[in-house]
Amino acid sequence: MKLPRLRLHWKSILLFLAVAGPGIITSNVDNDAGGIATYSMAGAHFGYGMLWPLIPTMLALIIVQEMSARMGVVTGKGLSDLIRERFGVRITVYLLMAVVLTNIGNVIAEFAGVASSLEMFRISKYLTVPLAGVFVWLLVVKGTYRSVEKVFLYACLFYITYILAGFLAKPDWAAIGRSVIVPHISVSTQSMGMIIGLVGTTIAPWMQFYLQASIVEKNIAVKDYKFARLDVIVGSFVVTLIAAFIVLTCAATLFKENIRIETAADAARALRPLAGKYTAYLFAFGLLNASLFAASILPLSTAFVVCEALGWENGVDKKFSEAPQFYGLYSMLIFLGAGIVLIPNIPLFPVMYISQIINGVALPLILVFMLRLTNDRKLMGDYVNKKGYKVIAWGTVGILVVLAVVYLGLLLGL
Amino acid sequence: MDRETALNSIKADTSGHFLFISEILNRPVLSAAGMPVGILRDLKVRLGDPYPKITHLAVRKRWKKGTEEIDWSRVARLESGSLRLEAGAEEALRPLETGPEDVLLRDELLDKQVVDTYGARIERVNDIHLLSVNRELRVVHVDFGYRGILRRLGWLRTVDRINQWLFAYRSEEKIISWKYVQPLMADASKKNLKLNVSAKWLRTLHPSDLADILEELDRTSRTSLFRSLDLQTAAQTLEEVEDPKLKISLIESGPVELASDLLEEMAPDEATDLLSELSEEDKDRIVRKMEKPSRDSVTALLKFKEGTAGSIMTKDFFSVSADTTIGQAIEEFRRTTYPLESVAYVYVTAEDGRLRGVATLRHLIIGDLNAPIAKFMNERLVSVGPQDDVEDVAGIFKKYKFLAIPVVNEGGLIEGLITLKDIMESQMDE
Repeated sequence: MKLPRLRLHWKSILLFLAVAGPGIITSNVDNDAGGIATYSMAGAHFGYGMLWPLIPTMLALIIVQEMSARMGVVTGKGLSDLIRERFGVRITVYLLMAVVLTNIGNVIAEFAGVASSLEMFRISKYLTVPLAGVFVWLLVVKGTYRSVEKVFLYACLFYITYILAGFLAKPDWAAIGRSVIVPHISVSTQSMGMIIGLVGTTIAPWMQFYLQASIVEKNIAVKDYKFARLDVIVGSFVVTLIAAFIVLTCAATLFKENIRIETAADAARALRPLAGKYTAYLFAFGLLNASLFAASILPLSTAFVVCEALGWENGVDKKFSEAPQFYGLYSMLIFLGAGIVLIPNIPLFPVMYISQIINGVALPLILVFMLRLTNDRKLMGDYVNKKGYKVIAWGTVGILVVLAVVYLGLLLGL
Repeated sequence: MDRETALNSIKADTSGHFLFISEILNRPVLSAAGMPVGILRDLKVRLGDPYPKITHLAVRKRWKKGTEEIDWSRVARLESGSLRLEAGAEEALRPLETGPEDVLLRDELLDKQVVDTYGARIERVNDIHLLSVNRELRVVHVDFGYRGILRRLGWLRTVDRINQWLFAYRSEEKIISWKYVQPLMADASKKNLKLNVSAKWLRTLHPSDLADILEELDRTSRTSLFRSLDLQTAAQTLEEVEDPKLKISLIESGPVELASDLLEEMAPDEATDLLSELSEEDKDRIVRKMEKPSRDSVTALLKFKEGTAGSIMTKDFFSVSADTTIGQAIEEFRRTTYPLESVAYVYVTAEDGRLRGVATLRHLIIGDLNAPIAKFMNERLVSVGPQDDVEDVAGIFKKYKFLAIPVVNEGGLIEGLITLKDIMESQMDE
């Protein structure tokens, strides 16, 4: 009697492993340079007070990514493809412009991450950033990305150091508990900006395009959708856990010592309880890996999204002459991203942080489209949003819009 | 006829005028008296004609949900700013309905992907070119180019002016005749494609181009496109698809009967390759449904391990007994339907069925009709055993430059044939 049940169980695990990947990879890419900078600054500048926003953010992340995954599995099409088919070329082109601009901000942040991680060893950014640009460009164009992806993924084990450092720093668990249970919001430009930055870096708009594209590429059958959903939920949980420990570690160390993060060296000091004199190496390694990982995905994903919607040839298996728009856009994003970081005296950490605020402001816009698509029964069939789900999702969009409006209002001094 | 001449011939023999659908969509529909009735939401055509006529216009009324339609013949005047109906026509509006042959140009074609059967690729529809003549409106071209996007954004004039001023340059139209366009939307009830001009142009595509197109499409369009192909084309296309996962999903997209029919159409070695990728359960189910001769060769081939000569050989070989005359051999040859690479050689067997020699197609053509084939055959045979390693077989092909090598079992009987194509495919997979 027991045997078949056990086998069923194993079969499910195998199926999950076959389907899993997009969700977990996406969440690791999510902890990019902008992510590390924003989480570090949240902990260092606001203490434990910036832990609670991570909980609603995680719920929103699950909702949003679940929609991306569901759309990918059910329709087999990318997000920009669906937007084009449903809303027409006009809306699509203007939306893509916003997406490209937001993503340029993120690419800049990735190269800023490269620059600041290696500046800790006094290696000039005028050397490291162009090299990183060429490296990333070749990695993708020469088709070696797939083999390097695993290296990037293993290197993500670096985030475990934050969990260890978090415990070693002996944080005030009672204070943490209090700040999570009784959230405190102060309506100031700084703290509103930080909340939007946290949301924007955790639920980056470009990730939704990327996640859906990787699900489509995996060609997951509709009957295996529940495994894809589990993949996304696990990924969202892991990303939030790591984010929380980065905030917590920085709060227990930097905030207590009243250190404001201006450079990577400041942020690295959070790992001192764990790594001692190797702190700089450890942090630089983690930041560099995160930056390069995202830098090799983000420009590519952006070029895909645009070409797919406008019906241009795309893909790294095509020659340059076959897909000029694709390669042109891809190269331009890397060139711009790396180029802007080379501006003398550009403040690297603030650049990373600001790009995440822009993400947070652009996010509700993308969400409106995702929601309208997943609410469409003609498109989604039985996998259309349920009534309760719809309410929660629209509520999330509403909160994000209010946050963005209040922040922009404060920023403009209204 | 290429696209340019197609364009010109229409221009030459009509006195009508061209317009783009983007110029009239969302424009007001007016009654005869000039009162607004609603806005133009969509145009409905019936597939079948090379340049299909617009049959109905879909109108969305203000303050009213849903879309209503009216016959195109009730349109009195078509201006780019608006459409004017005949007197009293607005009374004839009724809720929009679409049959299996009907296509809504905006909902089902504009911004969607279609197959350009002329260029053998997938394109996205940026605009639709219409011809208005004698109060009829017909679809004539589809726009895939930049200009279509710019026109719909309303930037075309500005961009043209800037280009003209800066570079004295005007970007080219990328427009293609409607008859080459195969839309990808499926009929909801049958899940088959709504076929344009009875899929004539779709059939002219080379199976390997079709395979590339299928690989690029999303699952739904892929399945419906695949199922619209006739059995032979579908089987040839399936042979050309490279991704084994995609092959499986295509073969499993239909009922078992369809899968077994497809496999019967395919070359037995290709069919066997595909079957060996399936689960035991599915494999048995499909094989059991196959008809006798194909089933036997497939089950025989399935027995061989991967990487052996037996696993890549085909059962399509041509053999005759030694006492056959050339004339009889030609008669038999006429009855075969094997692909060319399989019939380059004629295998000659002894009375006990053992392989004795080989003649070539050339001997059949130039030999004396009454002479026995044994007179021409070459008895120095190069053959391989079914359990031989594929790598070794490839070595033999490299050395002797044969078009095909027979696979002979321990008893000396010919089991099958490995062609140059088979060995090339097996080597390229690695």
